[in-house]
Amino acid sequence: MKVLVRTESSATIIECTGEVDLYTSPKLRDALLKEMAGLKVNVLINMSGVSYIDSSGIATLVEGLQLSQRTQTRFGLYGLRSNARSVLELARLTRVFSIFENEQEALEKIGKTQPFSGLA
Amino acid sequence: MPNEVHKCRIVINSEARLLHVLRCVVRLRAQEAGVPSSEVDCLTVAIDEAASNIIRHAYGNRPDGRLALDVRTFPDRIEFLLEDSGPKISPDAWRPRQLDDVRPGGLGTYFIKCFMDVISYDEDFVGGNRLRLVKHFSPAGSTNHESTGQDRK
Repeated sequence: MKVLVRTESSATIIECTGEVDLYTSPKLRDALLKEMAGLKVNVLINMSGVSYIDSSGIATLVEGLQLSQRTQTRFGLYGLRSNARSVLELARLTRVFSIFENEQEALEKIGKTQPFSGLA
Repeated sequence: MPNEVHKCRIVINSEARLLHVLRCVVRLRAQEAGVPSSEVDCLTVAIDEAASNIIRHAYGNRPDGRLALDVRTFPDRIEFLLEDSGPKISPDAWRPRQLDDVRPGGLGTYFIKCFMDVISYDEDFVGGNRLRLVKHFSPAGSTNHESTGQDRK
């Protein structure tokens, strides 16, 4: 799995490519924590290159959402493949995350989304 | 076992970096057995989650344990047997959590329960843990299956 970070006008984008599982999810987590720790920056995860994601990967995404709630920033996903979307739906998390079709839509709308307030 | 058409066994070290090998085997065997493509991804997730649970809970993320996966295919189902030689896993580790509280973690067992028809933990297995997971894929609409859900032997 590869993780690349770049900055756009309205958000930091984390490009994630490959399979996210118990072995690789810590790498995504490290990138998230590094970008979000102490910085008031909106974060978008580009999931278009994610061919597989398991519960540890999803846990990492939920952690990112929690961090954004604490820092009063926005956190979103875009470019989900059908298998990733399926597991998020199954876990009833599509109602929790701000999910966009593509990067353009994500960058336009991320600042206008409302934070999810139902996190444990 | 009657009507068994194919079986294979793979043994890996309890290293998370090897989980992708198990996923490859599961995908390949499921496809070869004729499991509908929409179900192959689900099976792959379920077995990956079960193996991850073993690495985390039976071996405490130690990489020097052994994890064996048996895959047996039948005309109407595919069975997976996961065995390890770690300490007995608490039943709580196989119990799905409620989805109402949105928090990291605890989804793996929920996925297993959603994707598999039979989940059976062999409490009599000596020297480790043995988990049997079964998915029926044929004949469509048949109700003459083993009871679904989580069973404990």
